[in-house]
Amino acid sequence: MRIGLVLADLPQYSETFFKYKIKGLIAGGHEVIVFTSGNAGTKPITDYKVKYSLPVMKGNLVLQSLNFFNGILKTLIVSPSRVSKLVSLEKKEGRNFWEALKSVYLNSHIITEDLDRLHFGFATNALRKENIAETIGARMSVSFRGFDINVYPLKNPGCYKLLWKKIDKVHTISDYLHKKAVKIGLPESIPYSKITPAIDLTKFALKNDRGKFHDPVRIVTVGRLNWIKDYETAISSLAILRTDGIKFLYEIIGDGKELERIRFAVYQSGLDDCVKFLGKITHDEIVKRMEASDIYLQTSLQEGFCVSVLEAQAMGLMCIVSDADGLRENVVEGVTGFVAERRRAQSFAEKLIEIIRMSEPERIRIADVARMRVEDEFGIEKQNRLFNEFFLN
Amino acid sequence: MSRMNYTVAIYSGNIPSTTFIENLIEGMSEKGLRILLFGKKLKDVSYKENVEIIATPQSELPLILFVIKEAGKLYFKNRNKLSKLLTSVKARNKSFRYFVKDLGAILPILNAAPDIFHIQWAKTLQVYPELMQLLDSKIAVSLRGAHINYSPLNDPELAEAYRSHFPKVDAFHAVSNAISSEAQKYGAVSNKIYVIHSSVRESLLTGDVHPKIKGTKLEILSVGRFHWKKGYHYGLDTMKMLKESKIDFHYTIVAQGDVPEEITFLMNEYDLSNEVTIIPGLQYGTLIDKLKSSHVLLLPSVEEGIANVVLEAMAVGVPVITTDCGGMNEVVTDEINGFIVKVRNPEAVAQKISALLGKTENELSLMTSHAREKIINEFSRQGQIEQFHSFYNKLATE
Repeated sequence: MRIGLVLADLPQYSETFFKYKIKGLIAGGHEVIVFTSGNAGTKPITDYKVKYSLPVMKGNLVLQSLNFFNGILKTLIVSPSRVSKLVSLEKKEGRNFWEALKSVYLNSHIITEDLDRLHFGFATNALRKENIAETIGARMSVSFRGFDINVYPLKNPGCYKLLWKKIDKVHTISDYLHKKAVKIGLPESIPYSKITPAIDLTKFALKNDRGKFHDPVRIVTVGRLNWIKDYETAISSLAILRTDGIKFLYEIIGDGKELERIRFAVYQSGLDDCVKFLGKITHDEIVKRMEASDIYLQTSLQEGFCVSVLEAQAMGLMCIVSDADGLRENVVEGVTGFVAERRRAQSFAEKLIEIIRMSEPERIRIADVARMRVEDEFGIEKQNRLFNEFFLN
Repeated sequence: MSRMNYTVAIYSGNIPSTTFIENLIEGMSEKGLRILLFGKKLKDVSYKENVEIIATPQSELPLILFVIKEAGKLYFKNRNKLSKLLTSVKARNKSFRYFVKDLGAILPILNAAPDIFHIQWAKTLQVYPELMQLLDSKIAVSLRGAHINYSPLNDPELAEAYRSHFPKVDAFHAVSNAISSEAQKYGAVSNKIYVIHSSVRESLLTGDVHPKIKGTKLEILSVGRFHWKKGYHYGLDTMKMLKESKIDFHYTIVAQGDVPEEITFLMNEYDLSNEVTIIPGLQYGTLIDKLKSSHVLLLPSVEEGIANVVLEAMAVGVPVITTDCGGMNEVVTDEINGFIVKVRNPEAVAQKISALLGKTENELSLMTSHAREKIINEFSRQGQIEQFHSFYNKLATE
């Protein structure tokens, strides 16, 4: 099969999800082409074909107009019938001639390809590309990510109306994400496959000293400094620990827009001496920091699934996560880790204290069950098999 | 220098500036001081004749001509200063545009050489360090909110600039005791800091202060732009709890700017679309009417200097619930003239709302009368003007 994959960027080191997905498909005998708009400047060496969309230059009207007409003209010469089909499909959806031309421009890197299936890595990637699969005679499917379903439609109600009409199947990383998509208009008749993220178990080895806590106890979180991760609640729960006389060191790995806000929370809570911001570090360094930690904390308001929590469970860290839907599927409360009430610092503090007071053998038992579950359910092979099935059927 | 015959530059960089600063200019001009204003002129303002505006042009050509003229003036006054200024500004700026822009801001101030140069935003010390180095005036700096409370935490260069300049400043004006002690961490000398609170308009101090809450839907109001420091996410946590406790309420947020994703997300998660209304900013008069028709003013902030809207609510007799951030505890005493709770504690706010609902009409009237008394005694416009006047007098005669 010839499969087209539409992504915002080429997969970076952090996006193991797509990297493995592409590798798995190629291993399964498929031909993969990745369509993207990002990273055009630094073209990496890949074992699959990559096609870049035409540039969109904001601000420079003259240059953009020239590009625009040049792009349209070239596309028209190469595949006149497909351009005319795309324009007519776009007009059928109520878009005017100019908007239809804009779609031709935005889809010009895809329009010349013959594909069996066109798959969108994110629902937001499919906006303004809803008609391209039909134009080139491919079937169309989409993956849901947390942001696609949880956040983007709040400000853009009805944004996926056309998308729902055009896809024949859906990939979701958690059950709740599918449920939520149904709530915002995805027809229940469209089949879906739940394929959770997977991790390379050889890279996240089970810690030998699992269950044995440092003094002060070491707590870690990996994730962008973004409101949806709710680091403020993490900080407030640690302030409660401090009042209880518990000594700890908390490391936050990641960068982002909310650094000032989170740093102020740390300062205001009097935790400057025991909270460290490590910024963005390499994947190997992340593994090292996790190895040196005892507890993994994830206070997020919402998550699609959260690979970091999976990695932490694989390594044998004690995990405390919020009851945000995706996380509840990731951690089995009381069995592979602990679930606290989101936005409630007191709830997180209670779980933290419970784990800190727990005996070492008890912690080891939890760590081993968590590892086993990750091995059984979240390994790369299983994910590859499921993806190959997804694209075959 | 005789006591009355000195000039004060009240410098914010914009003409006109914020309400607080415009009030200061008006008050001081009524006291007969000679006042100079520098910076970017946003629109025409009619000041008294003892206020002089020296605006820096913003468009390219007039700005270049302005800089040449001002540089010429300084050349004849003090060549040495001009050359120091050029060297320093050039070292700081890679691009010619910003070089000219910075000169356009600094040159007229050096030429005018006011007796007192009062910097309204502490960050100016970092942006134009040449003012500290080359100006012979007495330097006063106002200490306000974010510039002191959190910006330097996340910006080591700013913190360093404060540490190197603060010890050399002649006097500070602090909007609260809390911010005064915060500034001392950067080397502000305590006996040079004068706490002068903000104030409310006299017109708010008329009318009765007997709130009625019983038997109606509780109208809760918050006012302030969308910014994480305003703590609206904690406010929504409280509203979720009120809804769960089946309290009949409505929450209005009056806030300028786009509604942040976070707020939309939480309202949706907590299913509060019927209970919460967001209004994108109101004219002052309409805002005061909205305030008067509310039953309680909530300030869920994590950081403030002293929030003016709390002072205004107390002036007009609306009960307040505030977090204990910045200088808020210098205004509100719990259970006496309002309610005050720890920051980042939505449960505590919900409890205070229950406490408020449990109060008799007499108890509430007593609370709001105490609140107004506090405003009349410590936050009156006249008192503030007198304090600033003696602040400048003292500085001028030192």
